[in-house]
Amino acid sequence: MLLFRSEEHIDRWCAFRELPRGGIMSPEQCWLLAHAWYADKASPDWRRRTREEAEAVLAGIGLTEPFWSLHA
Amino acid sequence: MSGHTALGIEALDQAVRLHVYRHAAETARVPKPDEIAAAVGQPLPEVEKSIQRLAADHVWVLAPGTANIWAANPFCAVPFNFRVSARGRTYWGICIWDALGIAATLNSDATVVARCGDCDEEIVLEVRDGALARGEGVVHFAVPASQWWDNIAFT
Repeated sequence: MLLFRSEEHIDRWCAFRELPRGGIMSPEQCWLLAHAWYADKASPDWRRRTREEAEAVLAGIGLTEPFWSLHA
Repeated sequence: MSGHTALGIEALDQAVRLHVYRHAAETARVPKPDEIAAAVGQPLPEVEKSIQRLAADHVWVLAPGTANIWAANPFCAVPFNFRVSARGRTYWGICIWDALGIAATLNSDATVVARCGDCDEEIVLEVRDGALARGEGVVHFAVPASQWWDNIAFT
């Protein structure tokens, strides 16, 4: 996942690579995701999240569209 | 490494994981398999198997065809596109999620220097006191969440 100056830059990047536009989030959402995902990664108690737990993290920052579903 | 008590798989994986993350956090460098084996006092072949098990469990990502850790997410083992300054050291992330994740794992203020994926212009984000104090731009995920691990390097 990459950071772009604006959505216009995303569309240009996708067009150049002939890729459909994917999912977008704000830097604030990305920080909240990073914090929820990684704050305990170096802890002895860390364990891999279940798919349901991971989806709950995404939903918790407002990412509920099908693009963010972890079910294939 | 003779003379050391062999650990069970679960205990070995825990020791390996904790050493890698503590070392990466404290030094900004992801250790190599022989360094991990020496640190946890276990034979290199067993430690390499542990590293591979943890990779299969998506704890980290290996350099292709090796037991060398390429990214103990969020810490990338080699300089990459997202530079993170924190605790007086320079860390690297493989994506903006991981770059911000370094600040979260360290529980530290951090400055992330990224570049626009399209025009390569520098974009700076700052984490201060557990919050994003400076952030601009838009984050784009090219791959749907259900396929992130199909090709994590591209994701």
